[in-house]
Amino acid sequence: MGAYVGTILCLIVINFLVPRLMPGDPIDALVAQSSETFMFGDDSRASLEAYYGIDRPLPQQFGHYLVQLGRGDLGRSIATNAPVRDELARRLPWTLLLIGTSLVLATAVGLLAGVHSGWRRGRTMDRILLVALLAVREFPPFLLGSLLLVVFAVKLDWLPLFGGETPFSSSYSFFERIVDVGQHLLLPALVLTVGLAAGTFLLMRAGMVSELGADHLLLGRAKGLRERTLKYRYAARNALLPVVSLTALQLGFVVTGDVLIERVFAYPGLGGLIFDSIRARDYPTIQGAFLLVAISVVSFNALADVLYRRLDPRTAA
Amino acid sequence: MSNHSLLEVDQLRVRFGGEVDAVRSVSFTLEAGDSLAIVGESGSGKSTLALCLLGLIQPPEASGRVRLAGQEMLGQSAAVLRSRRWSTAALALQGSPFNPVVRVGDQVAEPLRDRRGASRSEARRRAGELAAEVALDPALLDRYPHQLSGGERRRASLAMTLALDPALVILDEPTAGLDPASRAELVERIRALTEQRGFALIVISHDLPDAARLAARTIVFYAGTAIEDGVTARVMLEPAHPYSWALINAFPVMSTVKDLRPIRGVPPDPRAVPSGCAFHPRCTRADDRCTELRPELAESRGRLVACHFGGLKDLLVATNVAKTFRGAGHDVHALCGVSLAVHEGESVGVIGPSGSGKSTLARILAGHLAPDSGRVLLGDTALPTSWRGGTAKQLRRRIQLVMQDPIDALSPRLTVEQLVREPLDVGRDGEPDERGRVVADMLERVGLPSSGSFLSARPHELSGGQLQRVALARALVMRPKVLVADEPTAMLDASEQARLLVILRERQVEMGLGLVLVSHDMALVRKMVDRIVVLDGGEIVEEGSSEQVSLRPASITARRLVEAAPALIATSVRVHPTAPIDEWSSR
Repeated sequence: MGAYVGTILCLIVINFLVPRLMPGDPIDALVAQSSETFMFGDDSRASLEAYYGIDRPLPQQFGHYLVQLGRGDLGRSIATNAPVRDELARRLPWTLLLIGTSLVLATAVGLLAGVHSGWRRGRTMDRILLVALLAVREFPPFLLGSLLLVVFAVKLDWLPLFGGETPFSSSYSFFERIVDVGQHLLLPALVLTVGLAAGTFLLMRAGMVSELGADHLLLGRAKGLRERTLKYRYAARNALLPVVSLTALQLGFVVTGDVLIERVFAYPGLGGLIFDSIRARDYPTIQGAFLLVAISVVSFNALADVLYRRLDPRTAA
Repeated sequence: MSNHSLLEVDQLRVRFGGEVDAVRSVSFTLEAGDSLAIVGESGSGKSTLALCLLGLIQPPEASGRVRLAGQEMLGQSAAVLRSRRWSTAALALQGSPFNPVVRVGDQVAEPLRDRRGASRSEARRRAGELAAEVALDPALLDRYPHQLSGGERRRASLAMTLALDPALVILDEPTAGLDPASRAELVERIRALTEQRGFALIVISHDLPDAARLAARTIVFYAGTAIEDGVTARVMLEPAHPYSWALINAFPVMSTVKDLRPIRGVPPDPRAVPSGCAFHPRCTRADDRCTELRPELAESRGRLVACHFGGLKDLLVATNVAKTFRGAGHDVHALCGVSLAVHEGESVGVIGPSGSGKSTLARILAGHLAPDSGRVLLGDTALPTSWRGGTAKQLRRRIQLVMQDPIDALSPRLTVEQLVREPLDVGRDGEPDERGRVVADMLERVGLPSSGSFLSARPHELSGGQLQRVALARALVMRPKVLVADEPTAMLDASEQARLLVILRERQVEMGLGLVLVSHDMALVRKMVDRIVVLDGGEIVEEGSSEQVSLRPASITARRLVEAAPALIATSVRVHPTAPIDEWSSR
């Protein structure tokens, strides 16, 4: 438990420093000549800096940030002036929906395909799955996303082109809204899923293949157990263990993928927010979003550890 | 269902990846209730054989026939295989593997649930009963495999094999890695189970004592094939195949008093099993037939042996040898009808007090003295009374004598090189310039310098120990098959004696020498030899294995020799004619 808290404390420091190490600052972005809020003059710039408190020395800023954080206040966005917490709260459900769906789908598909492929290693089905999943994985996600959009949204017009839901859909019935959200979710979730599923698939397959040579499986065969028992209770059950750790680790990478995918599909989740806030050097928003991501990843790993301990009696204390 | 054997294995072969010959043509049958041990070095294919018996290795790797209760197991459908596995024959794999994520009890009862559709509670109850049968604490059934000790895992594994009440139980290294106490306990438990349940047992082990206690019949495995097959007591006590003999000699048992002897060479690589008899590169008596023709199991000395010579044969046999020295006034009956046999690679100690006829026997065995009656056979040929003629010369080089006092035995006028080389020159053995190398090589082998001034030294310049080793080199340079050594260390100090004996032992393993060691020193002889013959008044008064004669001597002569044997503290060696041998440590 201490390790997790320590990790989060380190991340708070890094979260604070890294945005400020990037070239440029939020005022530059705010007063960009091309922007509508363009203002000229060092005076106004200085007053803006003073207003957002970024003219003070870093340690002081950090102290202020910590005090704020202690109160549960994430500050206000420099770019939009809205409270960061509200912005995150508004966008988080969308990302949870997207990432959650993808992770669940990817894990399910990867596991099933991996179990099947590994158990029947070298057979036709195994080869097809191996080639297909590897090929899809090597395909750049944003390209795949754009491609899918062109085909399904533009050409065929079966699915919506962008967003998380149809604008002004509040008049829809509950059921209609679910269908609407589902339609918007389908393509981005699909792109994210294929990228993730391949990793799970490969690890599960490799685990199954090495289980094929395990002595306890040989024993199970000698015992004349049913094929199903051998496949799931002996091989898959043991091959599953590393996959649990991998899935937790993957969450970090999912966020990276999520940022790209949300851009491509103009999805209203955290990914878009992170992208925008980095462009605007919007320190409070960057800090807030990354802190949320960090805490999620760490808690997910903690959860995986607990799960692993339940799955593998050997690691139980 | 009645007139076939429980298990019939016929010409079973297993070849992995087209190049690794794990099992090379094995045939045997096993009747219900029989017990069989399969012994051999690691990597000899024993475990692979076990897997084949349950059809766990299938064509194309496996070929031949394996019939389990009349049902062919090779090339059979998965459903048929499943129906036979565990219920007809159950196998405890080497190392007792378990599924690490499933509780032990669930695994013990798993066949009941999965195969017989038993309910969870019924399976649990049966698992508890089985655990009790193998003396495993039923509380352990709720644990995971990693929480059990090695011995507990072995027991759980054994309990598991009994789940479906099989007619045949195969145990692969059931006691490997256990401490001696739990090992003995487990062996007793297995014995008791075989008696109570009456299942047939195949125990695969490299541990000979365990195998001997568990099985009435033993098959010795070498390079994936059976090389000896017979009643356990016979195979273990009088092994016939040179490999069995070497294997059993290499194994320390509590009663072993002699030094351990490794088998020369290394076990064969299953990728490149030697042609002909697979043991021929390590065998000291192999000839052309052995390198070309593969021997089949054939009846010899009351068991089956796969050896072109029918197993070890006696190399030197003396029958009813008598010798009387006629002196002025009275005759000395040095030997009155002594019979003795030495087989290839064996060491026999001839021990007796002064005047018992030891040295006379040694000289007669070496062919240096003709007996009055009786005869001495070397191989199949009687030792001639004269050493003239080609055959006699050939025979002479096969048997050599090392005497008590090297100063008497070696000519003082010759140099070291000349002394060792002389037999080669006399026998016109090899090219003259090659002889020099042979001499140098042999000097090295007996631990002497092989170049420089040492070669031109003369006997008086050498120490007694060096001189005796020169004498040994002179004897061995002819590559004899039998060496008779008459008190070879009598003139040496303890350190030189130890050195000479170690060299002698090494050369013996290397060359497969038959050794007759004549001495009055029981402490020394029992470390060196397999068998001891006690001589007194020209007659053999006792004969037996070295541990038997040295620890439980039956004759008065032997007891006196044991009591007279060197001891640092006078009371350190006691003689217990009836005490169990386990009380004695080997050293």
